[in-house]
Amino acid sequence: MSETLQRRLEILAYATFIAVILILPAFADIFWLNRFAKYLVYGMLGIAIAMSWGYSGILNLGQGLFFGAGAYMLAMSLKLASPTSLAQGSDTPVPDFMLWNAEPGAPTDLCCITGGSWLWMPFQWVGFGAFMGIALPVLLAFTIGTVIFRQRISGVFVAIITLATVLLVRLLVIDLQPITNGFNGLTDLAWLTIGGFEFDPYLLATYYLIAGILIAVLIGARLLVATRAGLVLQAIRDDSNRARYLGFDVPKYQTFFFAVSAGIAGLAGMLYVIVAEFASPTFMDLTFSITMVVWAAVGGRNSLLGACIGAILINTIEASISETEMFVEAWKAIIGLIFVLVVLFLPRGLAGFAQDASAWVVGRLNRGEGSPASAVGQTRNQAAE
Amino acid sequence: MSFNRRSFLKSSALAAGALATPGIFHRAAMAADEIEVGVLFSQTGGLSIIEKSLSDATLMAIDEINSAGGVLGKQIKPLVEDGASDPKTFNEKASKLIIRDRVPTVFGCYTSASRKAVLPVFEKRRNLLFYPTYYEGFECSKNVVYTGAVPNQQLSNFIPWIINTLGKKKFFIVGSNYIYPREMAKVSKILIEQNGGEWIADEYLELGHSEWGAMVNKIKSSGCDVVLSNVVGDSVVAFYREYKNQGISQADLPICATVTSEVEIAAMGAEYAAGSYTSFPYFQAIDTPANHAFVERYRKFVNDPKAVTHHAMASSYFQVFLWKQAVEKAGEATPEAIVANVGGQSFDAPDGKVTVEAANLHTAMTPRIAQWKADGQGEIVEAYDHPVFPLPYVAYGETQDNLFCTAQGLDTSKLNQ
Amino acid sequence: MVDILFIGLSLGSILLLIALGLSITYGAMGVINMAHGELVMIGAYTAVLAGIYLGANIFVAMPLAFVATALLGWLIEAVVVRRLYGRLLDTLLATWGVAILIQQAVRLELGLTFFGIQIPGLGPGLQNVSVPEILSGTVAIFGEEVNAYRTFIIFVTIVLTVLTWWILYRTPIGTQVRAIIRNPQMAAACGIDVKRVNAMTFAYGSGLAGVAGVMMSGFKTVFPDMGTPMVVDGFLVVVVGGVGSLLGTVAAAGLLGEINGVFASVTNDILARAVVFATVILILILKPAGLFSFKGR
Repeated sequence: MSETLQRRLEILAYATFIAVILILPAFADIFWLNRFAKYLVYGMLGIAIAMSWGYSGILNLGQGLFFGAGAYMLAMSLKLASPTSLAQGSDTPVPDFMLWNAEPGAPTDLCCITGGSWLWMPFQWVGFGAFMGIALPVLLAFTIGTVIFRQRISGVFVAIITLATVLLVRLLVIDLQPITNGFNGLTDLAWLTIGGFEFDPYLLATYYLIAGILIAVLIGARLLVATRAGLVLQAIRDDSNRARYLGFDVPKYQTFFFAVSAGIAGLAGMLYVIVAEFASPTFMDLTFSITMVVWAAVGGRNSLLGACIGAILINTIEASISETEMFVEAWKAIIGLIFVLVVLFLPRGLAGFAQDASAWVVGRLNRGEGSPASAVGQTRNQAAE
Repeated sequence: MSFNRRSFLKSSALAAGALATPGIFHRAAMAADEIEVGVLFSQTGGLSIIEKSLSDATLMAIDEINSAGGVLGKQIKPLVEDGASDPKTFNEKASKLIIRDRVPTVFGCYTSASRKAVLPVFEKRRNLLFYPTYYEGFECSKNVVYTGAVPNQQLSNFIPWIINTLGKKKFFIVGSNYIYPREMAKVSKILIEQNGGEWIADEYLELGHSEWGAMVNKIKSSGCDVVLSNVVGDSVVAFYREYKNQGISQADLPICATVTSEVEIAAMGAEYAAGSYTSFPYFQAIDTPANHAFVERYRKFVNDPKAVTHHAMASSYFQVFLWKQAVEKAGEATPEAIVANVGGQSFDAPDGKVTVEAANLHTAMTPRIAQWKADGQGEIVEAYDHPVFPLPYVAYGETQDNLFCTAQGLDTSKLNQ
Repeated sequence: MVDILFIGLSLGSILLLIALGLSITYGAMGVINMAHGELVMIGAYTAVLAGIYLGANIFVAMPLAFVATALLGWLIEAVVVRRLYGRLLDTLLATWGVAILIQQAVRLELGLTFFGIQIPGLGPGLQNVSVPEILSGTVAIFGEEVNAYRTFIIFVTIVLTVLTWWILYRTPIGTQVRAIIRNPQMAAACGIDVKRVNAMTFAYGSGLAGVAGVMMSGFKTVFPDMGTPMVVDGFLVVVVGGVGSLLGTVAAAGLLGEINGVFASVTNDILARAVVFATVILILILKPAGLFSFKGR
C-alpha cells in the first residue's frame, strides 16, 4: 500500500471517528450520552497510554496517578463550590468532611480547621483547580521522568517503579483523611460553571464539552507524534542506544512525552469528575491502571486512535454484558477472555487488525503489490517489545 | 464562582426539564402493572462476599411481597445491577437505574464509599435510596432512608456495659483506615471518658490488609484490658486468627467489636472468635419465632442450609417492607411520595419492631450485645428493652431533644457549636 | 526486640514464599505472570476442598496443592504463555486476563451455579481452613513465646528455598534452566529443549504458588480475590532482588519484610507500607537492575 493511500485511510479513520462521536447524540438518550461521555474520557486515557507505551516504549502501570491527581485537583475546587461547603457558617467555604475529621473545638475556617487544610485555600478559585489538574500531573511526571530516564531505566523497571509510586500515593491519600476524606473520596461536588453556564453531567452541552476536548487532544497528539520530536521519540523506542550515539538527548525526549501523556491523563481525570461528580482514591487502584493498559492493548497500542477506540469499545461492551440479566455474575469472566484472546491473536490490537485488513483489501485490488504495510507494522511491533 | 441554594434549585429544575417533564419521569415504572425498583449491590469483586447476601435478602423480600399480592395490586420487578466493588461502577449503575430505567427507588450500597459515590445522583435527580448498612452517621440526606444502625445504636450501651459489667477500663481502639472506624472511635472515646474508662491507643490498618503480626504484638504489650475493634471486611478474619495464634485469650483480653458479624465468624472458624463480643441490633441468634422463620426462609431462598443471617442483611430485608408500606400509604410509587410517607412507618422485623423516624429518615431499632460461642452463634448477653432513637450526629452533641438532622434538613448552626 | 525482628522475619518469609515461584518463572522465562496470585488462591482453595472432602489437614493439602497448581500452570503455559515468549509486556496483559478468568471460575463454582449446582467450598463466600492443634498458639524459641504458625511458615519457606536452590544448582535440569536464564538462544543452540524446560519451569513455579496458598489459608481469609494484592508484593520483591537471582529474591524479601515489621512496630502499619514502597522505588532508581543481577538479560 502506498504511503499516500495509507495516509488517506488514516485521515478517513480519524474523520469517521470524529463524525461518529459528534452525531452520536442524535441516536442516544441522555443517560447513554452521559455514559459515553465517561467512555470518551476513558478514550482520552487510551490516547495517553498509546503515547507513552506505543510511541515511547514506556509502559506506565501508574497512569492512574496522573488521572487521580487531575481528578482531585478539580474536585477540590468543585467541592468548595458546593452548597454544603458554603453553608458551614464561615467566611470561607469549608468541606463538610473536614468537620468530622477536625479536633473538637477547631475553628470552622479553611485556614486552620485541620492540619494542612490551608492547602485548599487557593482552590476557592475554580481556575486554579483546573490549572493544577494539568500542572500537577505534568510536574509529577516531569520529576519522575527526569529521575528514571537519566538513570536509563527502561522496560519492566519503569512499569514497576510507576506501579510502586501509584500505590504509595494512594496509600497517602487514604491516610491523609482530614484533608482528602480518605477512602470515601470527594463527593457532593458542585457542577462546573463557566460564564454562568452550569455543566450538568446530563446535558448535551456537557457531552459536547467532553467530545470537543477529546477531538482536540486526539488531533493535537497525532500532530505531535508526527513532529520531528515525535519521530526522534520513535527512534528511541526502537533503539535507544542508537539514538543516543546519534547525539540525541534521550532522557529529554522521553521525559517530555511522558509529561505530555501525564497531562492528557490529568485532563481526563478532570473531565471524569465533571461527568461522574466525584473523585475517589480508587482512581489510583492498581486494577484501574492495569485495566487502562489493557484497553490500549485491545485497541492497538501503536495507534492513538486505536487505543482511544479500544477504551470506548471495551467499556461499552462491559456495560452491555454486565447489564444483561444472564451475565450479571459472569461478565468479568467474559472480559477476561476477551483480553486473553486479543493479546494472543491480535497482538497489535484492533488498529493493527484494521491496518492489515485494509492492506489486504488494497493488495487484492492492486494485485501483485502484496501487503507491505502489514510487514512494516509487524517489524515495528517487534521492535516495540 | 458563586453557588447558592436558589441557583441550585433552578439548575435542578433545568436538569429535570432536560431529562423529561416530571410527569412522565416515572412513566415507565407506573404505566405497567408492575413497579420496577433498583437493586444495586456488588455481585462481583472483593465486597461481593457480603453484598451478595444483602442482594439476596432484598430479592427475598420482594419475592414474599409479590406472592402476597404485590404492592398497590402491582408486582415489584427488581432490576439487579452489579456495583463490582468499585465506586465508579456504583455511580454509573445508579445513574442507569435512575435516569434510564426511571425506577422510583433503589435498594442498595454497602460501603460508605459506594454510598457517597451514588449520593450526588440521587440528590440531584431527586430519587430515593434505601441504605441497609450500619454506618458512621454525619449524613442528613432527604434522598436516603437509612435502615442500618448509627454509632449511638451500636455504642451507647456497649461501652458502658464493657466498663461496668465486664469491668474492663483500658481500651485499645483498633480499626481499618476508613471513615466508619475513625468516626466510631471518636464516639467511643467520648463514651469511654464519660463512663470513667480510658483509651490507651487508637490505631489503624489499611483497609483490606491482612497482616496483623505487628499490631497484635502492640496490643499484647500495650497493657490494655480490652480491645475495641472497628476493623472492617476480611481483615477481621486475619485479625482474630492472629490474636489467637499469638496466644492471647479472649477471657483475659476480649475483643469487643462493632463490625464482626456472623459472616466473618463463619469465615474465620468459630473457635477463633469464641468468647469475644459484638454489638449489633440484629443477630441470627435472636430467639423469637419471627427470626427463626426468617432464617429458615432465607436458607431456603438461597438454597444453602448453612447460610448465616446478619445485621445489614436483616435490614436489607425489612427495608423493602417499610418501602412497601410507604408506597401503600402514598398510593403511588414516586420518590417524593415515598419519602413523604416513609417517616413513622413501623414494621415487625426479625430484629423486633423497627421504625423510620420522620425527622432524619434513620431507623429506630433495639441495640443488642452478643458473646460469640464455639458454634459460631452469638449468645445475647445484653439488650435494650425498647428501640433506640437514631442520632447520626451523636459525636457532635446531638440528642433526641436537640436534633441536628430535622425534617427541614441539617441545621449546620448546631454543628459549629 | 526479638518479637519485632520475628515479625519482620515472618513477613519476609511470606513475601519470599510468594516471590519464589515468580522469581523462577520471571527469571528463567521472562514471563510476568499476573495470574500467580490466582495460583496462590487455587492452592488455598485446594486446602479448603481437601479439608471438606478428604478430611485432610494442611500437611496433606500441601502436596495436593502443589500438584493441582502445577497442572494448572502447565495448562496456562501450553495455552497462553507459550505463544508469547519474548513479548514480556504481553505476557503481563494476557496473564492478567487469565487471572480474571480463574477468579470468576472459582466464584461461579466453575460455571455450575448457572445450573443451580452448588459446590461447598467454592463460590463467592469466605472460606476457612482449620489449623492443626500443633500449629496453633505459641511455641517457645530462645526463651521467647512466638506464633507457632508463623514459625511453621518460616520453616516451610526455608525448605522450599533450599529445595529450589538444590534443583537449580545440583540437578541436570537446573543446569539447563540456568543456561536459559543466561542466554536462551545459546542454550537452544547447545541442544537444550527450551520449550520443554520452560514448561517444566512454569509448572514448578506454579506449584510453589500452590504451596504458598496452602500456607496463606491457615491465617488469612480464603476468597476468590485474595491473590491480587499478593502478586504485586511478589513482583516488587523479585524486581528489587534482581531478575533471575535466587539469592537476590531471598535478600529482597528479608529486607522488605524487616523494614515493614520494624516500621509497623515503631510507628504504624500504614506508614510501614509507605516506607516499603518508597524503599522499592529508591532501590530501583539507584540500582535499576536490582540488588543482585546478571548481565545479559
